[in-house]
Formats: sequence, C-alpha cells, structure tokens
Amino acid sequence: MERLTRRRFLGGAGAAAATAALGPPARRASAQAKPLKIGLVLPYSNVYAVLGESITEGMRLVFERESWTVAGRKVELLREDDEVSPQVGLRKTKKLIESDAVDFLVGPVSSGVLAAIRDTVHQARQILIVANAGNDEISRERCSKYIFRASFSNWQPNWPMGAWVAAHVGKEAHLIAPKYSAGFDMMKAFKETFVPAGGRVVGEDYTPFPVNEDFAPFLTKINQAAPRVVYAFFSGSQAVRFVRQYDEFGLRARSKLCGAGFLTETDVLPAEGKSALGIITGHFYSTLLDNPTNRQFVREFRETFKKTPDGFAVQGYDTAQTIVHALKATGGDTQNKDRLIEAVRRVEFDSPRGRFRFDPKTQNVIQPFIYIREVREIGGELANVVIDQVANVKDPGTGCTLPG
Amino acid sequence: MLLFLLSVGLTLIFGMLDVINLAHGSFYTLGAYAGLAIAAVTGDFWIALALAPVVVAAVGALIERGCLRALYARGPNAQVLLTFGFIYLFDDLVKWIWGAHVRSMPPPAMLAGSVALGALRFPSYRLFVIVFGLAVAGLLWLLLERTRLGAILRAGVYDREMTAGLGVNVHRVFTGVFAVGAALAAVAGVIAVPIQAAYPGMGVEILVRTLIVVVIGGLGSLKGSLAGSLILGQAETFGKAWFPDTSMFIIYGVMVLVLLARPTGLFGRELR
Amino acid sequence: MPWVAGTYPVKLAQEILIWGIFAMSLDLLVGYAGMISFGHSAFFGLGGYVAALCLKHWSPSLASAVLLPAVAAGVAGLVIGYLSIRVSGVYFIMLTLAFSQMLYAAAFSTEWLGSSDGLPGVPRPSLPGVDLNLTPAFHLYVMVFFALAGVALDRIVRSPFGRVLRGIDDNAHRMAAVGYAVNRFKLVAFVVAAVIAGLAGSLYAQFNGYVSPEMLFWTTSGEALLMVIIGGTRTLAGPVLGAAAFIGLQSLVSSYTERWMLILGAVFIGFVLWAPAGLLGLVQEGAEPRA
Repeated sequence: MERLTRRRFLGGAGAAAATAALGPPARRASAQAKPLKIGLVLPYSNVYAVLGESITEGMRLVFERESWTVAGRKVELLREDDEVSPQVGLRKTKKLIESDAVDFLVGPVSSGVLAAIRDTVHQARQILIVANAGNDEISRERCSKYIFRASFSNWQPNWPMGAWVAAHVGKEAHLIAPKYSAGFDMMKAFKETFVPAGGRVVGEDYTPFPVNEDFAPFLTKINQAAPRVVYAFFSGSQAVRFVRQYDEFGLRARSKLCGAGFLTETDVLPAEGKSALGIITGHFYSTLLDNPTNRQFVREFRETFKKTPDGFAVQGYDTAQTIVHALKATGGDTQNKDRLIEAVRRVEFDSPRGRFRFDPKTQNVIQPFIYIREVREIGGELANVVIDQVANVKDPGTGCTLPG
Repeated sequence: MLLFLLSVGLTLIFGMLDVINLAHGSFYTLGAYAGLAIAAVTGDFWIALALAPVVVAAVGALIERGCLRALYARGPNAQVLLTFGFIYLFDDLVKWIWGAHVRSMPPPAMLAGSVALGALRFPSYRLFVIVFGLAVAGLLWLLLERTRLGAILRAGVYDREMTAGLGVNVHRVFTGVFAVGAALAAVAGVIAVPIQAAYPGMGVEILVRTLIVVVIGGLGSLKGSLAGSLILGQAETFGKAWFPDTSMFIIYGVMVLVLLARPTGLFGRELR
Repeated sequence: MPWVAGTYPVKLAQEILIWGIFAMSLDLLVGYAGMISFGHSAFFGLGGYVAALCLKHWSPSLASAVLLPAVAAGVAGLVIGYLSIRVSGVYFIMLTLAFSQMLYAAAFSTEWLGSSDGLPGVPRPSLPGVDLNLTPAFHLYVMVFFALAGVALDRIVRSPFGRVLRGIDDNAHRMAAVGYAVNRFKLVAFVVAAVIAGLAGSLYAQFNGYVSPEMLFWTTSGEALLMVIIGGTRTLAGPVLGAAAFIGLQSLVSSYTERWMLILGAVFIGFVLWAPAGLLGLVQEGAEPRA
C-alpha cells in the first residue's frame, strides 16, 4: 500500500557516522556539506505508477551502496507524484526547482509530462536527468544543454524492430499504441525500417490515454482483419490490460503480437501471465543478460526489494550512477553548473545493460545493444529470452545543435 | 451494462429528489474498492458483489439524511453543489486508504474462460455482465411496475406533493431511493473491476458518460436508462474504433442537441 | 512584492491572481445572476488555447495574448449563452457542462491541438522595453489585468445592470412581470463573464507556457465554483480569497500531507451546508441588506 506523503529519504547511519568521523572540519567545508537534493518528478499513481516505483528503487539501490553520501554530501530524495498528467507534472516541477532548489531533477515517465516541463527546466537552467520519458524531440529539435537522458529515446527500441519483424515474422502489420507523443514516436520509428524492408501497414490505431482502457472495440476490429503481425506499444497497467485482453479475445491464434519492450517488461510480466508467452519485443535490457554488472544488480535488487528488477529499475540505477560519477568528478561541487554539466557529459560506467555513456551530440544514452526478446517460460517463471541483438544504437538527433 | 446500472440510479434519484447526484461516480468508485477489499479478505468475488453494495448503500443513506435533507429548502442548485464536493472527498479518501495504483482483480474462476461466437472468441465474463445487467433491469421493472413500493416510487416521480399528501413518508422513500441508487452504482463498480480495474479517478470518468445516458434516455425513466445506455454503449464502441478522432465530440454534441431540442430525452417526464 | 520574497511565493501569487480573475467572472453568474454553470471552463480553456496557438504560430503580441482570446471567448459565450439560457435549473447546469465537454473532446482528440499532451512551448508576448520572461515584469503584467478585471466587474455589479441581475436571482418572475427582458440581461452577464474567463485562460497559458485539455474539462469549472463558494458569493473579494485558499492548500499544505483534496472537499461541503456566504460572509457578521 503506497502512502503518498512527500517523504525525504535521509541517509541513515552512514551519514551520521561520516559526520561524526569528520568532526569540526566538516563545519568549515560549508558549501560542500550542504545535502545533495535530488528532486524526483515521477508517477506514483495512475497507469504508470509501477514504473515510478521501479525507477525509484533502482536509484535507491545505488545510493544504498554509497551509504547515501557522495563526495562528502548527504543525499536527499524529494519525491513528487506527477500523476502522469502534464499539468500536474509542471506544477510539481516548478515547486522542486523554485521552492526546493534541487541540485538535480530526475524524471519523468510520461513523454507528455516531459514535453510540458522542458521549457521551464531549460529556462531555469536546471539540470534534468530523464529517467524514462522518451520523446524523440528532446534529443532532436528540443534538446537542451541542461537535459540528459539516461533511459532511451522512443525511437531506439523500435527502429531495429521494423526490419527484424519484416524479415522474421511477417510483412503485414497492424499498429496500435496510446494516443500521445510516445505512441506516435514509437510507431513512426517502427515504420522507418519496416516499410523499406517490404512491410505493409494494414491498420493503425491510437487509443485514449492515459485512461485505463478497455480495448474491446479495437481488438474486435483487429480480429476481423486478422493481420499477420500486431505491433504494439503499451506500458504499465495499460500493457497488462492489453496483453490479457488480446488473449481473451482469441487474437493469438491468428496474429503474432510484437512490440516495444515495455509491453512485456518484468514489471508487468507476472500480471500478464501465460497470456504473454511468445510475444516478441525490442528493448535495451533483459533480466537474463549475462554480464557481471547485471548479475550483481539482479542479485542485489532481489535481496533488497524481494522482486525481480525490470528495465525501469535499470534506468533508475543508471540515473543514480550518472549523478554519483559526475559528482565525484567535480568533488561534490554543484555550484559551478557548466563544470557539472561537463562532468555529466563525460560519465562512463558499467551498467546492467552494458557500457553506459551519453552521446555528446544529443546527451541521450547510446544503447550498447537493442535486444530482440521472446517471452518464454524458464524454470517455471516467465522471462524475456534474448533471441537476437543490434549493437550500438544511437538516436539520430536530427535538429539538435549541442556542441558535439 | 455498467452504464445502465449507473444511469438507473442517477435517473431515479433525479426523478424522486430532483437532484443531479454528481457524487454518483464516487459510489461507483467506492463500490469497486469495497469489492476489492471484501474479495481480498474472503477470497470470493460473489460475496464481494453481494456485500459491497450494502456498504455503499449505507454511505448513501447517511449522506442523504445528514446532508442533502438539510438543503431541500434551498433548492436543487445547492444540492448539486453539495454532491460536487463529495467527489473530492471520496476520491481522495479512496486514494488515502488504498493508494493510487491501478488495482485489478481477476474474474471469478467459473467465468474466466472465453466462448466461441462464430469465428470470434468472446470472454465469458463480459457475457455475464450483459446477462446480469439485463437481469437487474428485469428485476427493477418488476419492482416498479408490479409492487406497491414501485407504485409509490412512480407516483413520487410523477408528482411529489400529491404523493406526500396521500400520507406516504416521503422522506423515508427519498433516503431509500438514494441508498438503492448508490447500491446499484456500487454493483457496477464491483463488476467493472475485472474488466477495467479500479483507480481513484474512475468515478469522474464514468460520471460524464452516465450523465449523457440519463439525458438521452430521459430523466426519471427506467426504460430511458436502458435505451440510453445501449445507444451510448454502441456509439462508443463503434466510434472508438472507427472514428476515434470525432466520436467523443459527436457524442457530446448529441447530448447538447437532446438538451436543446427535447430536454426530457427519449422517455423522460416534464421538469416540475 | 517580487523584490521582497523569493520567486516561488511570487509565482504562487500570480497563479492566485489568475484564478482569482477566473473565479470572479464565475461569481458574476453564480453570485449575482443566480446561474450555476459547470461550463465556465469552456471559456477559460478556449482563451488559453487561442492564446497559445496565436502566440506560438502567429505573432507573440498583445493582440494574440489579449484581443483574440477575448473575442473568441466572447463569441463562444454568445453562442453557448444564447442556447443555454433558454433552459434553467438542472438543465442549464447540464447543458453548460455538455458544451464544455464538447470543447474538451475536440482538444483531446485533435492531434494538431496536442491531443492529451496539450501544447507546450507557448511564448509570452514581446512588449517594447519589457521582458515578460522576467518574474517581476510578468508579475506587474498580471496585476494590471487583475486590476482591470476587478474594476470592470466592480463597476458592473454596482451599476443599475448589476442591480437588475440581483433582482433576477432573487425573483426572476417578479422581474419579468415588472417588464425586464430577463433572458437578455442574463445573456449579457454570461458574455461578460465569458470574456473575462477567456482572458484568465490566456494569462494562464502565458504563465505556464503550456495549455492542456484539462483546462476545458468540466471539473475545472467546478474548481472555480469551489473557490467562489468558499470565498464568498456576491462579492468580488470572495472568489479571490477562495482562489488563495485553494491554491494555498494545493501547494503549501501538500508539502505536509497529500490529503489537501480531502480537506478541500470537506471544507467546501461545510460551507455549502452551514455558511453559504463563504469566508467573507463569516467575516462580515453584519451582512449588508440585499439591494
């Protein structure tokens, strides 16, 4: 049960011990000893609530490891619920920037919210590390030197899927996604490589957002056409609803369901159950990735939170790691903004998804891989098994004029 | 069918009390969450379906006796305002007690599969919802047309003063109608959870659609609610998939046209 | 004020002023003419969208920011008012609600209006010699409009026209019997309220740099109604007080508890039941006799 009171996560014993050990000299280092305030504008309610929680948990894992102190500064997380609403997100963002004067702003989940807050963040010269929202325009014509993205651009997971689906699944596809910028971006990216590879889009539907949908009308319509492939983007509770209803209405018999990875990520997979078997998706992550960082990450996450992590937790993890590395590079200084921005641009570390670094051209993460995955049952549990991969996926960044 | 259950309550409340109960959506929400809670404790969907409406009916009765009754003298406008305030109260209460995540519940085991209808498959639970709705419609019709209580209700809708003059304790009937309306909304709420899940804003969302149904069908008419909910349900289903950009606009446009041209809707009675 | 406090309280004040204008315009209908409208959001949102589109795509000028939204809202007010005023009571409530929802549906479903995401990136008008992107300048800008709206409404309610409105609220039948064209007076009030609400909407768009379909949803009108009732109907200071209470609760109390909506709902219900004259009514123990 989630209590939505605005809470501050203070470093516990670690911080106390650190201050005790430092003693009087701590008082002299005045600016450095100020707590590091990280403002989170994420959904903790409505259709994307689970994503907000996962991202927060990924971040907490990193800060737990650092004992909630980075470069001598105590870490404070200030949570604000944006309710997946651009209007609410804007209000909360302004509060975090102006009233709480956060050092770093993190979030949001919904592309709609990011679009609404972009100008406010840019004009306030507030450093924002996007922990999910993938609107392509933020890496393109609306990029900003203050905005970094540690998650993905909506284009990245879908662009390789177009050609792959045309080659390996079918050349006739019906597209369906929620009706907002992320839905539009993702379908557009899929078409970019699907059509040139010989694919044909036989239908395209956009469903009301962010209401919790009953997809019956759309599923009936698709069922009547019986296309070879249905390519979908849904996330959070909408994904659960869609995948289950897709099965209930019997579409699995005739149309293969493929989509962006969020459709079957670990946050929704258990709720989807057997209805998700066989779905093929593209994503920058899978819990089964066999690299040392991921193995440690999954193990620690399971121990701390008693559940399996998902790609959103990885995004939170990478966001927090970015902050940690940048802060260590500047010795804890957040006053000199340009220096801090430079430090963020240059971070590089091992993430559960692979080697993490930002593309200097767009300040968007370069995906070490986009994995093509299929949902299978492994040892009694459902998981996204990697069946193919595309390396080094960078957002094209058309129209972004950041210094390269 | 969900719309039908909700609109019957709303239309009867308007018919008897002259009140547009804007908090009707909140009864729907409360019903859904109460159903979730009861099902979580008892592990049984059917018990939840039976008990949740009772709880919500009690809440409705309290509101009517405690708050609405005080405002009868001040006129319907004040009462509408009051019910509006309850939306905020209940939506936040629900968020407080159950959290703001979207919560779901699977359909009861016996209804979990799907049925073949021709070449297509249709989930059994949805069939159940339709059948159940029709059954409730039938029961309500029997109640209104064939029982003494029903006669009193119809008389009250038609002419409140006369009915009071005939010695009927109108106040008690009012409370009863309000409670029953709330109970119907709660039933809809419980039934909705396996299809649409429960979340704090669900009441506001369905409230507007319920208003449309009541307007089109006619305020105060059971027949109207059935007709209206069928019409709107079909229009929405058809419109969402085939005319997604304009269907919402057209539906509201129809509501406007009905209110302008024929405010009593298809089967409603004249406003007093 | 901007020179005394930090920027956050100043921006809160701006939001209160803007919503105050919106609420005051609604009070002209609710408190003086006795018309409860859940469709006032139509003009607020229309003003906002027109301002957003014009400022973004046509010209960032005062014409876009003031003239066009006011005209659009006025025309809409005329049409909606003419159609709605013919019915009264609950039908008026539902009709105004339906009109607002029609506009909401249009904005929500139309891609070039931003669909559910709305329109971000709305610039403030460029005035000669003044940079409205600076907080103190924008604050003065908002205060000017607030003052204008307040003075205009004050003049209206004190005028013979205002007295007729109050007469209509008290007893429309008597007014009609005495020879007043009741509906025409109501329509004028409706259009005036619409224009001012449109201006408020435009200011809100400039304040946020963003408009969303939520501005057109009927509950936005309901929120203004909350402010009017809590603050005090049939006054001009009342709605502003109500706006301050609402926004204060929303922004400040929400730091300590997320339950501000519960509190607001309960307070509102309390006022409807026991203090229909709102906060100001409670303050002014000896209420002035109704004109």
